[in-house]
Amino acid sequence: MTTDPIVLSDLLAELALRQLPCGGWAALASSSQPAIEPTCYSALALDSVPVGDLAHAQDFLLRTQNPNGSWPVFPGDDQRGGWITSLVVMALRDLVPAIPARLQGLHWLLNCAGKEANWFWKWKFRTADRHVRFNPDKYGWPWFPDTVSWVVPTSFAILALNQIPCACGGLEQIPFRVNRGVEMLMDRVCPGGGWNAGNGVVYGVALAPHADDTAIALLALRDRAEDPVVQGSVDYLERTAPALTAPCSLAWAILALAAHRRPIASLRSSLVALPDLSGIEDTSTLALACLAIDYRRALSAFGVTV
Amino acid sequence: MSVTRRDFLIGSAALAAGATVTTPFLLPKYHSDQRPKRSRVAIVDAQQYSQQLDQILAAGLRLFPIDVLGKTVVLKPNLVDYIPGNAINTHPLLVLAAAESFRRLGAKSVLVAEGPGHQRDTQLVLSQSGYEQSLRDEKIRFVDLNRDELIRTPLRAGYTGMKHLWLPRTVLEADFLVSMPKIKTHHWSGVTLSMKNMFGVVPGTRYGWPKNILHWKGIQESILDLCATVPIHFVIADGIVAMEGNGPLNGTPRPLGTIVLADDPVAADATCARLMGFESGRIVHIREGARFIGNASSALIDQAAETVDVPATPFQVVPEFRFLRAPLKCDATASNAQESQASKTPYAR
Repeated sequence: MTTDPIVLSDLLAELALRQLPCGGWAALASSSQPAIEPTCYSALALDSVPVGDLAHAQDFLLRTQNPNGSWPVFPGDDQRGGWITSLVVMALRDLVPAIPARLQGLHWLLNCAGKEANWFWKWKFRTADRHVRFNPDKYGWPWFPDTVSWVVPTSFAILALNQIPCACGGLEQIPFRVNRGVEMLMDRVCPGGGWNAGNGVVYGVALAPHADDTAIALLALRDRAEDPVVQGSVDYLERTAPALTAPCSLAWAILALAAHRRPIASLRSSLVALPDLSGIEDTSTLALACLAIDYRRALSAFGVTV
Repeated sequence: MSVTRRDFLIGSAALAAGATVTTPFLLPKYHSDQRPKRSRVAIVDAQQYSQQLDQILAAGLRLFPIDVLGKTVVLKPNLVDYIPGNAINTHPLLVLAAAESFRRLGAKSVLVAEGPGHQRDTQLVLSQSGYEQSLRDEKIRFVDLNRDELIRTPLRAGYTGMKHLWLPRTVLEADFLVSMPKIKTHHWSGVTLSMKNMFGVVPGTRYGWPKNILHWKGIQESILDLCATVPIHFVIADGIVAMEGNGPLNGTPRPLGTIVLADDPVAADATCARLMGFESGRIVHIREGARFIGNASSALIDQAAETVDVPATPFQVVPEFRFLRAPLKCDATASNAQESQASKTPYAR
């Protein structure tokens, strides 16, 4: 019989095996090109467990920061930075020597906004380009600069900025940006609850929500748990999650439902019972499975209090 | 009339400035003309998704002088998202049939590769759309192009203004790349066929979901830059059940009973557009692609199987693309104005 701790131990051991000599992890098990996203999830998963070289991973993250304070998707990438900056800020949260780098990252995040924040695009979306239903006054963060806001990068940015205890020292904009981001998520919810990638209605058609996008948004909206929009989305996720067989979406669903105090025992059982979990090619998913099994610590890492 | 040195310098400066401004509009935006002298297309009858597709496809492929002996073949289906009842994705049975056919033709390896454009959880799309089990049963490797190793690749055309893209190693190192689109309408680009299908090789981890940077650079322009840079060696388009209306996700299934095979993506897409009841010359990336990627003119396309049967009722499209359905002889001025407008407003969120 397998139990959660045994499965978790196996998965963490596999994760440690995949760590590259540079300290980072590649996106796929078969790859040797380090990438920032799997490194962040792996660093979070290996935090406080005696496998893997966490310090080396954190050092890798610090080494790869762009001069403008952002992080690239992988070392050697163009240096404008992107959505991954939020994840790195969270992955380095307990590391005192990383404070200056995190501050630079936070400043970059505060200066980065969806294109609809600009008056010209706001005007265009309000007057001429209205096939996608959304309020351009409510903006968040793009995947990459010079594009519009999307649900996942906005949610990660909210989670990262919410981890900062005070809005001072040049970070006074945090409450404003977080509120705008929350408003954006509320505005773009799908009509039946939950979130698609970016918008709820396109060409008059209601889009179907995605489980992983919804779960990540719900983590960011933990402080709005009583809001009917959030409640409706939690209900959607709770209905959908039992049918999920893909570990990535299932792991995010477990984290979000745990954050919103819904029962997750059967979902965790489903996750650990998935065949060949440690053989998952996608290293981010492997790390997320670890985080979902150890969900209390994972929520703490994302700054979500239950 | 005497020309002073001052007049000469001013005139020279004006000429130089004029050349600087106009040259970008006059020079071609592509680096090389990759068009074959003639292209071959086969429209093959296939009324349903079944095990018979193996034989149907094998017979269709015999109409082409394909040489994949000892080569790595990458099949690139259109796998975007999953919505029950919607004909969004290339059907897995067609992909399996293609894999089997290329194996029989002597390919060293056949793999399936895609970077879903809308759904981040690739394994979820694979599972829900029936790919995961099928690929496992047939021992066909799948590569998630959203997360593959990336190589900085200079673009071989300049429609977007981008100099390079980070593209997946699996695609760049393929000996024989097969684009396997679902024949669909698309609310931002008019149609999504073998050329638009190449958006799936652009990695989401680097460019976001749904590859939003390409939308802002211009969908038509991005299609051209991509297809100039990553050559498509063959096309197998799934038109057994196509999609019309508000594609690529929320349109209506439209049975077409057809698979389109081609050795040229422009010829494939022009033929598919005709099968949809559209004037292919009004689709920007097909018209422009016909200048340097492949052939769109019927005169340069050998139809190896059935002839192009234009439907009595063209595919439904969103209002911005109704001009695709109008015959060319009708109100060309109005159609061109609409086309110009539609090509400038595909910047999807």
